Parts: sequence; structure tokens; C-alpha cells
Amino acid sequence: MSRFRDLVAPKTTVHAHCDLPCGVYDPEQARIEAESCYKIIEKMGANSDPTFTTRAIAIKEQRADLAKHHLDVLWHDYFKPEHLEKVPNLHELFWNATKQVSKVKASSDIADAKKLLDMIDEIDAAWKATGGEEKTRVAGRPS
Amino acid sequence: MRDRLRGPWRVAVSERSMAPGILPGDWLLVDPTVGRWPRRGSIVVFREPDGEVLAIKRVAARPGDRVRLDAGFLVLGDDEAWLLSDAPAAELLEQGGGAPVDSRRYGPVTIDCLVGRAWFRYGPVGRVGRLTGR
Repeated sequence: MSRFRDLVAPKTTVHAHCDLPCGVYDPEQARIEAESCYKIIEKMGANSDPTFTTRAIAIKEQRADLAKHHLDVLWHDYFKPEHLEKVPNLHELFWNATKQVSKVKASSDIADAKKLLDMIDEIDAAWKATGGEEKTRVAGRPS
Repeated sequence: MRDRLRGPWRVAVSERSMAPGILPGDWLLVDPTVGRWPRRGSIVVFREPDGEVLAIKRVAARPGDRVRLDAGFLVLGDDEAWLLSDAPAAELLEQGGGAPVDSRRYGPVTIDCLVGRAWFRYGPVGRVGRLTGR
């Protein structure tokens, strides 16, 4: 019987796949990239060398893209409709924060970067309020 | 055509984005001789446009059809189809999966990616039968 089974068994596998989320989410990831933007803008203000400025702009844009990516992952994958009960302004928070990342990407004003950090802190509070720390980190956030 | 005759004629399914109709472990017969996108509701095996993975999904829209998106419509080209998963995203999440990977991820799929039409389930024994359209 098993020989018959081997004979008729398909040799090709097709995938009906979906994403496989690791389940680890933390706004800290976005914050670190946003802090990079903050620090880079700070350094840009203290150095007028054109080569330095060009490099700094390129790196800041890269970091801003990463911050936006991490915010998008949190928004789409971690937060669920039931979290809206605890954080009714959730969508507004993310909408404003991702818009602010775009602003920081093009800006050399430190106030813009600071505003982004504050917005990510608000998202952090929402993550904590919905039990993110216990649910998604392996052993909570390292202290 | 000669290439197409090489198959695959039989495939095994892994993962569950086509549940409940098609489940992991199902053995399916495939017609690799189809040269055009089959009718809406058909199940197709194809190479994913952004990789070499062989995938299985359902034809949701055919060449020339309009696909409704969040912001307006997309009109499919004359060699494109819109392929979707059966399982609702919420169900996949409940089972520990993530968002379904289909045209909502990689957009329309062109005809050169089509490998065949899955038409019959020949295993497991309790689930043998012709695959139905939608």
C-alpha cells in the first residue's frame, strides 16, 4: 500500500501561503530609527562640510524609511480592531506619526524630529496599554 | 507546448490560505496545458511574480476585468489576472498566520507565470472530488 502511495504521491509542492509573523512588536524599533534622524539633524547643524551634509541627508532618509516601515508593521500587524476600545485615536496616531516621518525625511529642523519622537512615545503608550510588552516581547522590555 | 506537457500534473498543497476548500496535505490533479487564464473562480497553480515559489490561488478577475481597490479601480491588461486566497485574513490571524500572500501583495499576475489549472482532488481519500468554482 505504501508503495502505491509513493507512486501516486505528487512530487511537486504548491504553497497556499500567508505571512508568518514572528509576533515580536515594539515601538522602540521605530523610536531608535527616529532618534537616528534626530541625532543626524543635530550633527548637520554643527557641520557645514558639503560632503558630510550629503552623506548625512542620505543616511537620514534611509533611517526615516526604516522608522516608517516599523510603524507600518506595528499598525498593520500588532494592533487589532479590539484595541480601538482602549485606544480610540489609534488610527489618527499612526496617520500623524507616519506623516511626520515623511516630514522629517525632508526636513533639517530638529523640532520636526522631536515631534516625531513624541508621537512615537504616544504610540508606545498605546502599545503598553494593550499589553504589548507582555504579549510580544520574549521577557518584557530589557530594563 | 512541449514544455507544458512536462507538468506538473499532480501537486501537494502546503499551508492554509485556501482553506476551507483546499487544505494542507491535499493532493490535486493539475492541467498544465492551459494557455489562457481560466474562468473566474478556477483554482490555478502559478509562479509568484516576485519569486520562484509555486503558489495556488483562485482567479478573482481575468484579463480586461476591473478590480476594485481602496482608491478606485484597476483595469487588468490582456495577459493579467487577479489571484486571491480563499481564507479570510481574520481566520489566518487566529491560526497564528499573517496576511494572505496574493495579488493584494504582488499585484496582477501575467500569463507567463501560469503553470496550470487545478481541477480535481485525488487525496486524501475522504475528500476526493472535483474542485468547485465560486
